[in-house]
Amino acid sequence: MNQTHDDVLDLAAGFVLGALAPDEEAAVRDHLATCAEPHPEIEEFGGVVPYLADALDPVEPPASLRDRILHAAAMERPAEGSAQVELSAAPTRGRAPAPTPPAIPFPTAEERAARAAARPSRLGTWAMGIAAVLSIAVLGAWNLQLQARLSDVEGTLAAATAYQQGVARVLEVAAEDGAQTALLVPADPSTSAVGLAATGADGTVVISMRELAPTTGTQVYEAWVIVGDAGPVPLGHFTVGASGTGVFSGTTALAGPGAILALTLEPGPGATIPTQPVLTIGTLAAST
Amino acid sequence: MTDQTAPGSLRVASPVDDADRRILAELGAGRLGALEDLYDRYRAMAFAIALRITADSTLAEDVVQDAFLGVWRHADRYVEGRGSVKTWLLSIVHHRAIDAVRRRRPAVELPDPEVPPPPQLVASDVWPEVAGRLDAVEVRAALATLSDVQREAIELAYFGGLSQTEIAERTATPLGTVKSRMRLGLLAMRRALVGEGPDPMSEGVES
Repeated sequence: MNQTHDDVLDLAAGFVLGALAPDEEAAVRDHLATCAEPHPEIEEFGGVVPYLADALDPVEPPASLRDRILHAAAMERPAEGSAQVELSAAPTRGRAPAPTPPAIPFPTAEERAARAAARPSRLGTWAMGIAAVLSIAVLGAWNLQLQARLSDVEGTLAAATAYQQGVARVLEVAAEDGAQTALLVPADPSTSAVGLAATGADGTVVISMRELAPTTGTQVYEAWVIVGDAGPVPLGHFTVGASGTGVFSGTTALAGPGAILALTLEPGPGATIPTQPVLTIGTLAAST
Repeated sequence: MTDQTAPGSLRVASPVDDADRRILAELGAGRLGALEDLYDRYRAMAFAIALRITADSTLAEDVVQDAFLGVWRHADRYVEGRGSVKTWLLSIVHHRAIDAVRRRRPAVELPDPEVPPPPQLVASDVWPEVAGRLDAVEVRAALATLSDVQREAIELAYFGGLSQTEIAERTATPLGTVKSRMRLGLLAMRRALVGEGPDPMSEGVES
């Protein structure tokens, strides 16, 4: 055995417990990567370590965690699945038939419905319930309350105004025959952003958000629509300034009752699949 | 249990692992239902580890979420024969919880997030024939064979995220003694778990 090999023996216990200084750990990794000799001490000690956790009593996490995880996972796909997704780069206007659902890792509508029935999350139930019964009148009243509250706060007037204008555009679309509306609520603990969205019968989509983190560099907020068993389809992107207000307008052929709208903060424009966690999410329902 | 394989073989299946592997294959294919299954199977163990390490239930939830989403994204990184899926998943939980705790302690040098997961994540299940039937009682009994100072050194590292140097400082013990306690403690635990006689490493280590 050479000196380095002996060093590794000496460091084995600390290594498997993750208790070495970074330079020591790097040295062990380098050695293991290049040394052809067996290292039984690493395996013997390393085999013990996972059992340390078995001594703990299990602790049930809050029930809401399950929905958070599944929600976030639903918006992502394992790397292998990427090639299977078909995306229309330029969504067409009108209510064209939805494309054949590609084989992607999103639960079937039945699975989602069954899960929703079996384990309603506080957030999910709230959002869906509200979206389902949301009327123009309710939207308007909520909007006024928001205006009053935001206007009270010094320095938020500009943000409130921008948001108001966005909401006004949402309301215009929502008032059309055949329109759908959604209340977008946080899906990730990192954000408190909320907003409203409406889709028109002609495929217009308007989303007005507040309390979004300002985008920096090439960052953009990407809007996604998810229909049935299909994967997230990008709607387009927008940037957000210091006000935290974001208004998005676009078109899609995919939005209809039950379609899900979601936002992610992507490192740059042009994402064809979400690479970041879903920040806010909402389900479209008939607005009248 | 079907694992009647020659001693020394690391590829011994237990029924639990077969079920885990099926879940992993389905995760790789992108079936969300598989993630639910995995979550239902291990959520309480995962949360227990995260909570013990972070002592903060909000942070522990984030850690568990990160870990399950990591498995969802990277099910293909699981290497068969290098430990059960449970070991893999819980090692990721452990690693992320330690990261979270160290991030709260600015004095500690943070590991590069791109560095491979901690060593126990890639450690083989050296005794697969016992792996499937160990329960908490047996593991606690094994831990009880350690001396108090050995157990303290191991727990400060594994659940506290402290380095050997930090443990030496905190317990006012020479660094060499801390290293020795960790090594002897792991050996004792291994003997208790496997019921094994001679220590394969008793020679040559100190030379």
